[in-house]
Amino acid sequence: MTEYVGMSMPRYDGVGQATGRTKYVDDFVLPGMVYVKVLRSPVHKGVIRHLDLSAAENTPGVVGVLSAEDVPGVNLYGAGGDQPVFTPEHIRYKGELIAAVVGVDEDTAMEGVEKIDIQIEEQTPVFDMFEAMKPDAPLVRPDSESNLWEYEPGQTTRVMYIGDVEEGFAQAEHIVEGRYQTGEQDHAPLEPHASVAYLDEAERLAIHTVSQCLYFQLGQLAAIFGLPMSKIRYIGGTVGGGFGGKNHIHADHVAGIAALKFGRPVKYRETRREDLQYSTKRGVFILDYKTGVRDDGTLVANHIKLWHDSGAYGGFSPYGGEKCSMFASGPYHIPNIRTEAQTILTNKAGSSSMRGFTIMNGQFPMEMQLHKIAEETGIDPWELRFINAWRDGDKGVSRYTVRGAGAIEAMKKAADLAGIELPEHLLAMDSRTPPPQRGEAADVVD
Amino acid sequence: MKDVRYFAPTEMAEATQLLARYGDGAAVLAGGTDLVPQLNYYERHPEAIVFIGNLNLGYVKEDDSKLVIGAGTTLAELLASDLVVAHFGILADAISELGTVAIRTTATIGGNIANASPAADTVPPLLVMDADLVLVGPDGERTVALQDFFTGPGETILDTGELISEIHVPLLNGGTSFKKVGMRKAQSCAIAAVAVRIEMDGDTCTDARVALGSMAPTPLRCTTAEDLLKGETLDADLVARCAEAAVGQTKPIDDQRASAWYRIKAGKALIAKALSEAAGLGM
Amino acid sequence: MKETLSFVLNGSPVDVLAAPTETLLDLLREQLGVTGPKRGCDEGDCGTCTVLLDGQPVRSCLTIALTVAGKEITTVEGLADGRKLHPLQKAFHERGAFQCGFCTPGMLMSAKALLDGNPNPTRREIVDHMSGNLCRCGSYEEVIEAIQAVANGEYKE
Repeated sequence: MTEYVGMSMPRYDGVGQATGRTKYVDDFVLPGMVYVKVLRSPVHKGVIRHLDLSAAENTPGVVGVLSAEDVPGVNLYGAGGDQPVFTPEHIRYKGELIAAVVGVDEDTAMEGVEKIDIQIEEQTPVFDMFEAMKPDAPLVRPDSESNLWEYEPGQTTRVMYIGDVEEGFAQAEHIVEGRYQTGEQDHAPLEPHASVAYLDEAERLAIHTVSQCLYFQLGQLAAIFGLPMSKIRYIGGTVGGGFGGKNHIHADHVAGIAALKFGRPVKYRETRREDLQYSTKRGVFILDYKTGVRDDGTLVANHIKLWHDSGAYGGFSPYGGEKCSMFASGPYHIPNIRTEAQTILTNKAGSSSMRGFTIMNGQFPMEMQLHKIAEETGIDPWELRFINAWRDGDKGVSRYTVRGAGAIEAMKKAADLAGIELPEHLLAMDSRTPPPQRGEAADVVD
Repeated sequence: MKDVRYFAPTEMAEATQLLARYGDGAAVLAGGTDLVPQLNYYERHPEAIVFIGNLNLGYVKEDDSKLVIGAGTTLAELLASDLVVAHFGILADAISELGTVAIRTTATIGGNIANASPAADTVPPLLVMDADLVLVGPDGERTVALQDFFTGPGETILDTGELISEIHVPLLNGGTSFKKVGMRKAQSCAIAAVAVRIEMDGDTCTDARVALGSMAPTPLRCTTAEDLLKGETLDADLVARCAEAAVGQTKPIDDQRASAWYRIKAGKALIAKALSEAAGLGM
Repeated sequence: MKETLSFVLNGSPVDVLAAPTETLLDLLREQLGVTGPKRGCDEGDCGTCTVLLDGQPVRSCLTIALTVAGKEITTVEGLADGRKLHPLQKAFHERGAFQCGFCTPGMLMSAKALLDGNPNPTRREIVDHMSGNLCRCGSYEEVIEAIQAVANGEYKE
């Protein structure tokens, strides 16, 4: 067995990919299958005042229609548990699902969608996090008092700390402040979101899914369908790229509801444009840093405020803010850290996980902050990173103890690859030995 | 969508009669690279699709000191044409950056023109060569200057029933250059594109053409820049003034690809580069 | 209104009915069950639906099915000879020129068109030719290497 370690092996399923035999979800065409097209909100924020699906329902070739009242179980899902499958009344983002038409083919279903009679009272949306936090901002959730996510009732800021930043700043000869922002990004896997659902021979609802994480979603689907999990056969494993975007349900809920209601195999797939415009994105992060540094370059305090744009629904964003807090001080030993994270709702498609979810959104600004510190203090940026890099036994803000630290070794390798000659005293450092500059960490205050 | 009719005429007269009969309900299908996405995304609901790929409009000929290009010639065929490469290098340059191999296999030059996108990459090179279009309709044929063809984004002077049948490109003198900037090199719609042709007598410019793409509602001839050049000694200062004058004639838009501000900046730089290259200035 | 359509698919004659707005991709996937070519964007940008039309690469999502009357279409299903893989398939598989594999059917057809017309392409020519086939997993380098390996004769038929 061990002879294979370090070898490049052809993929066990690679012949399927190379011959086109691998079946992705959209490759399933079942006898009697019907197709879904959806009505999405044309406005960013509003209230549905009138919805009449009868013209769509009476279109030749249309099997039936779906809206909020057709959700058999709970019309809420998502990691935040706050997103409706079909919105019954309030629209929170452009592209939000309102209704669906099921037809013998997509053209027919689309003909039905174009006939839906709908009236929406448009309202003023808010897209910018800081605008959304103002006291008079339009409310994304009509039943709430602010656009801040509540981690627990009344609790809108998630704080993590180790040590005491004020004590840290008191020891620092330099205080450096900076604001950093990362933008939105789409996952854009080549395979758009798609789902095929049907009732199997045991009357179970079978769903071929593009999901990256069936067990994040199975429970949510069971609640939506009002079925025990044992009545759902959730079939996944072949994914045409996900990159975090397929952690959220985009198609299985609609296909499943249609299969249950009409008793026929159903295919629902998003077009590329729907996928790009309305599916979940990597959300915007803004981080404010205040860092205390000693004359010798030792980092002694890091106070971070971070804001995460969640879009219209919670999704993974509250968790993302917490996770970002853990990584926003980078792989560096700072005895006094305080992070304050807030998640803000705006009238945009929901944010979601994406590759290195929220980690680089914290590490990128920390590295930029180190650059700024190097510039403002005149300390060499390599020196600054080497002396502060995690050594085994250090503690991060979440108070885990670092084992197997490797930042110094990685930096040495990077310098080597970049053709940069590091000074001897840095080359002599490693992740097992504390640097000479390092003072004793302040006691952890619980 | 179900009641759409499909026609694949083999005679021009039949094609123009079909187009006249269906009027606005007709969709002309050549290579399909612009039309089919509109069909796939339900943006167009034609009553009839008239496929003009069987009209034998794919050819490049040299005729009486001009190139005669059939409107149905694919971009791949143009790129492979010795006549185009020898006499009209900037068209080949523009096409080599247009779309990608699989798009160029089917996309036609007539389609690129008739679609009337402000970003049509073949148009600025054709404009600087003073190209004419032959339009054929149910009532006969007319020849128009390409620069009079466009009236707005997606809008042209084509009458109901009319098709572009040929493009006539005079084999004019002068150095030429084509420059484009997009989001990436391959398969990207131009953020700004520039073609120039400049005739020199020693250091003095005797005649010039400057054309821009993606900088206004239609592809644009920059006559103010051309007038500045004629009869003048070409140097870095004049090039800079021409670039300034040319973008002064434009009305670029902000969209997802670039801001108007960026288009102006990029357009100016491209004009200066193209003029220097076409005049052999090596600046 | 549907029209009759005859063409050759992977060496075999096909007679079908196709609607005027039906793309070749729709016809292959939904009517004929030939699901090698994938639907990635339906507007010609991603390249995963690439097939060969009389040996030249085209986007099947941009090709109205009725226009291929009398032509020869080759999809990824037409590459292997029974269980014997085409050298490009072998090279892609053995060199890991994909991760999720969704772009592979289009990549292979583009690569085949390249090598059929230019058996010894430079790296630059490979990059230019393949630039219309997107891979979000980022297997580009392995794709280039696989094509180079086939051109170098490392994977004989």
